[in-house]
Amino acid sequence: MQLMLGWWAAVFAISATVAASVRFMFPNVLYEPSLRMKAQRPDDYPDGATFFPEHRFFLMKNGKQFRAVSATCTHLGCTVNRIADGSGFRCPCHGSVFDASGAVTSGPAPKALAWYPVTLSRDERLVIDMTRQVSPEEQLVV
Amino acid sequence: MLTRTWRKFCSSRIGRSIFRVGLPGSDLERARVGVSSFLLHIQPVKVQSRSLKFRTTFGLGLILLYLFLILIVTGVLLMFYYVPSPELAYRSMKDLEFVVTAGMLLRNMHRWAAHLMVLGVVLHMCRVFYTGAYKPPREFNWVIGVVLFLLTLGLSFTGYLLPWDQLAFWAITVGANISSYAPFVGEKVRFVLLGGNVVGPSALLRFYVLHVVLLPAGMAFLVAIHLWRVRKDGGLARPAEPDLIEEEFAEFELPPEKTYGLMELARGSSAAVGTAQEDTVFSWPHLVFREILLLMLTVAGVLVLAIFWNAPLEEFANPAHPPNPAKAPWYFLGLQELVAHSAFWGGVVVPTLLLVALIMLPYIDTKPDGVGVWFSSQRKTAILIFSICLITMTVLTVIGSVFRGPNWDFTVPWHPNVEEH
Amino acid sequence: MSDTRLQRLYPWFTASSLLVGILVVVGFYRDRFREWKVWQRDYIRQETARATTPQEKDAARRIPVAIKQIVLPEVQRVDRCVTCHVAVDDPSYSGLPQPVSYHPNHDQHPFDKFGCTICHQGQGFATTKQAAHGNVKHWDRPMLPMLQIEASCAKCHHPADLPQAPKLTRGHALFQELGCIGCHKLHGRGGAIGPELDKVGAKHSPQWLTMHFKDPAAVSPGSAMPPVIVEEADIQALTLYMMSLTGEQLTEYHVSMKTIPGPRVGRQLFEEKGCVGCHKVGGKGGDVGPPIDDVATRRDAEWIVAHFRDPQALSPGTVMPKFDLTEHEIRALTEFLLSLTDPGIVGYIKIPTWMTPVERGKSVFGKYGCAGCHGRDGQGGVPNPNAKTAEQIPSLKYAAEGYTDTELRSRILNGQHEITPMDTERPPPPLYMPGWNGKIAAGEMDDLVAYIKSLLPEGDDLDF
Repeated sequence: MQLMLGWWAAVFAISATVAASVRFMFPNVLYEPSLRMKAQRPDDYPDGATFFPEHRFFLMKNGKQFRAVSATCTHLGCTVNRIADGSGFRCPCHGSVFDASGAVTSGPAPKALAWYPVTLSRDERLVIDMTRQVSPEEQLVV
Repeated sequence: MLTRTWRKFCSSRIGRSIFRVGLPGSDLERARVGVSSFLLHIQPVKVQSRSLKFRTTFGLGLILLYLFLILIVTGVLLMFYYVPSPELAYRSMKDLEFVVTAGMLLRNMHRWAAHLMVLGVVLHMCRVFYTGAYKPPREFNWVIGVVLFLLTLGLSFTGYLLPWDQLAFWAITVGANISSYAPFVGEKVRFVLLGGNVVGPSALLRFYVLHVVLLPAGMAFLVAIHLWRVRKDGGLARPAEPDLIEEEFAEFELPPEKTYGLMELARGSSAAVGTAQEDTVFSWPHLVFREILLLMLTVAGVLVLAIFWNAPLEEFANPAHPPNPAKAPWYFLGLQELVAHSAFWGGVVVPTLLLVALIMLPYIDTKPDGVGVWFSSQRKTAILIFSICLITMTVLTVIGSVFRGPNWDFTVPWHPNVEEH
Repeated sequence: MSDTRLQRLYPWFTASSLLVGILVVVGFYRDRFREWKVWQRDYIRQETARATTPQEKDAARRIPVAIKQIVLPEVQRVDRCVTCHVAVDDPSYSGLPQPVSYHPNHDQHPFDKFGCTICHQGQGFATTKQAAHGNVKHWDRPMLPMLQIEASCAKCHHPADLPQAPKLTRGHALFQELGCIGCHKLHGRGGAIGPELDKVGAKHSPQWLTMHFKDPAAVSPGSAMPPVIVEEADIQALTLYMMSLTGEQLTEYHVSMKTIPGPRVGRQLFEEKGCVGCHKVGGKGGDVGPPIDDVATRRDAEWIVAHFRDPQALSPGTVMPKFDLTEHEIRALTEFLLSLTDPGIVGYIKIPTWMTPVERGKSVFGKYGCAGCHGRDGQGGVPNPNAKTAEQIPSLKYAAEGYTDTELRSRILNGQHEITPMDTERPPPPLYMPGWNGKIAAGEMDDLVAYIKSLLPEGDDLDF
C-alpha cells in the first residue's frame, strides 16, 4: 500500500516533468514577421498591388478600396508571382496558376489563395490580419 | 491498480516481447530480471548488504550519475533556445528568464546541478580515498575517476562562458589566463582553446562545441567504463574478510526453492556463486528501489535550489570594463589564490604536482590495508597527507571566494564597504 | 530483515516523488502568473466595454493575451515594452494612466521602426515592470527620466540641428564655447590631458557628471580639471549633452528614417554636390549662377524648395539642372542656404572661405578648445594652482605684445610642459600647455595667430 502510494507519486512527478518539458518547447515569442501586420497609412500605397516580401502577401489598392491576398501557394508553400497584367498569380515551383480572385485555374494547387481581412487601426494605419481569412469580395473602404 | 495494470500488460503478448520477466514474484525471477533487462543487468543480481548502507558511500557516485543525467536533459532542452553568438547568446538568456515557459527553472536547474556536480566529484573522491577503495584491483578505476574529475571541471568551465555576461566573460578570461602560466604549452593551449588571443565570438563557439558535444561524449564514455569496472571489480570495495554481522548471520537461512545458475564470472580468486555465508540481498528490489529513491531525492534537491535561487546573469560582456576583482569560477579560486601569490609556483608547480600525485596515488600507496573501512587506522600517513592537501585547497578556495575584494585585497564578506560591481 | 529495512524507505519514496512533482508544478505555474497579463486583460476589458457593434465585440474577443515585442536586429534590441504598454499606438487611449496609455509623437518615430529603448533606455528584454524599467542590479541602462530624455535624440540627430531639444542644443553649444576639447578627445579630435568623452554617457551616472562639472576633484580625486563655473541650468545642459555621448551611433539606421534635416546636413550636401562650381559663396566659386550667400534676403523658403524641385518652372531658361534630390535633401539644403545670413547660427555652419582670417582664427580657437584653459575669447582666468602666473592660466590678451609671430607659432606648436611653480615646496601646477604640432594645420595656424593678435585691446597699446 505504502509502496503503491510511492509509485503513484512517481508517476505524478514524471508526468509533471514531461508536461513542463513539452510546454517549454512551445515558444511564447517568435522572431518572425508577425501574423498581425501593421502597415503604413492608406495614402502611402500606390494603386494596384504592393508586395510585402517578409509577410508574403499582396496589398491590393483600388482607389479607396483595400484587400490583401496571400502570396503563399496552397500547394507546397512557395511564394507566387503576380502575372504582370494583373490577371492572376503563377507559382514558380510547380506551375500552379491562380486567377485574379485567387482561384486555381491550373496546376497542382488544391485550393484558392487566402484573402486576409484589412482593417484600419485607430491611428489610421492599415492592419492586415493573417490569422483569419475572408472571401475575396470583402474589402476595406476608407 | 498500478501493479495490476502493469502485470496485465507484462503478461500480454506485446508486454512479454518487451519485458521478458515482468514484475518478479520469486527469487528466480528476481535473478532473471537482473540479467535479462538491459538497464538492470548493469547491477549484479545480488549485492552486499553493507553496500546498501547509506553511510558506506553516502550514495555519492549515484548522485553524480543522476546530476549528470539532469544536466544532459536540461542541457538538451536549453539548446533548443540557445544560440552561440555573443549578442544572441545573451538575448537567449534574457528570453529564458522573461518569455520562455519554465525557461528560468531549467536554466537554474542546469546551473545548480553543475555546481553540485563539481562539489559531488570532490566529495566522491574523498569517500573513495578515505575508504581506501582505490587499492588493487581498483587502481585504474581511480585514474579514470581523476580524469572524470577533470572532465567535470572542463564541462563546468566551458559552460560558464555561454551566457556571455560580465560574470562569464571575466571568469573565463581570468581562468584561461591561469592556464597560460603552464610552461612551454600554456600560451598555445590558451590560443587553441579560445581560438584567438582574447575571449571573443570564436571562443564562445569553441566552448559551446566542447560543452555540448566533445566533453559530454567523453564523459559518457568514461562514466560507462567507470561503472563497468566497479561491477567487474566485484562491486564496492569491502574489507578482505567480511565482518560477520552476528544478528543477520544468525537469521540467515537457505530458502528451500533457492536455485542458481552461473550468472557471471567476476574477477577475484573465487566466483561469488554459492558462498552462502555472504550477507547479500537481491538487487531487485533492494538496490533498484534505493536507486530510484535516490534519483527522486537528487531531482528534488536540485529543484528546490532552482526554484528558490536564480542563476546569476550580469550585464552584457564588456571587454573594456572588468569588474574588480575579476574572479575565475569558484572551483578555480584556490588556484587563482595560489597564482596571486606566485605565478610559477601557484600556477604551474603546485597544480601539476597535485594532479600527478592524484593520478599516481593507487600506484604509490599499494598496501592492501584498510580497504573498505572509513579512516582505517592502518593508513594514518596517507590519510594525513591527503587531508592536509584537501584542507589547504578548501581553505584557499574559500579565501579566494569570499575573503578577496577589490585589487585582490583581503576583505571580509560582511565588510560594509564591499560594493558589488 | 532486509525487507523491513526496505519498507522503512517507502514513505521516503512517496514523499520525495511527491515533492518532485509538486516542485515541478510550482516552478511551472509560477511562470503562468506574470504581471503583464494583468494589464493585457485590463486592456481587453476596456476594449470589450467600448465595443458597440457585434464586429467590434468580435474583434475585442480575438485580442490575444501574449507577449508582444518589437525586434530591431540593426541595433541588437528586442523591446517588449508594448507587452504592458499595449495601447501606445492607439490615440483613443491618450491621457489614460500608464501602462495602458497612448504615446504622443508616434508619427515622427513610429515604434515598429524605432522600438522604445533607443530613446527611453531601460531593459527591453524584460517583462516585469521593475526589470524592464531597468531598476535592477546588473542592468546598466535604467530608464531615462523624462527631464533628460533629450539626451537620446543625439543618437540620430546632430545636437546643433535640433531646436526641438533645447537643453541638448544648449549643452552642445556650451561644450564648444567652453573649449572642453582642449583637454578632452571627442570623436577622435581634441587634447589628451583629460579622458576621452566618446562613451562618457554610458560610463557615468547623471549625478556623477553634474558633480564633476561643479567640483571635479570631489568625484574624481586628483583631477586637474578646473570647475566649470556656469549657471545651474547650463550645468544641467552640459550634463545632458554628456549623457547623449553613449558611443551608440545609429547613423546607418537613421539614414533610412525620416530624420529632421537641418543646416548641418545641408552644408554637407552643398559641398558634396559641388554647388560652388557655379555659385559664389563668400566671394569664391563659379560665375555660372548668381552668388547665393544672401539668397535668404531675396527669396523665402518656399521658393527655394520649389526651385530645387524644378528650376525651370521658376526660372525659365536657367541652366541649373534638376538635381536628383529627395524631399529631405531639398529641405536640408534650403535650411543651409537660409542659415547663411542668420547671425544666430553657430560659426561652423559658415563656409570658411567666407570669413576673414581673424574670424577663421576664432573658430580654430574654438575647434581645438583653447578656451578650455585660456578662457572665452582668450580672457584667461582658469585656475592653475601654484603656477607662477598668479596661479592662473595666462590670458592671451597681450600675447601680441610679448611675442613675435614666429615665437607665438613655436610656442603653440611645442607647448610648455614644465610650468614654473610659484612655490617649489608645493606640488607642481597640474595644467600645462600641450604641443599642437601635427594637430593644428598650417593654414589654421596662420588664422589662429591672426586671431590671437587681434585680441589686443584697442587703445590699450602700451608702449614700454
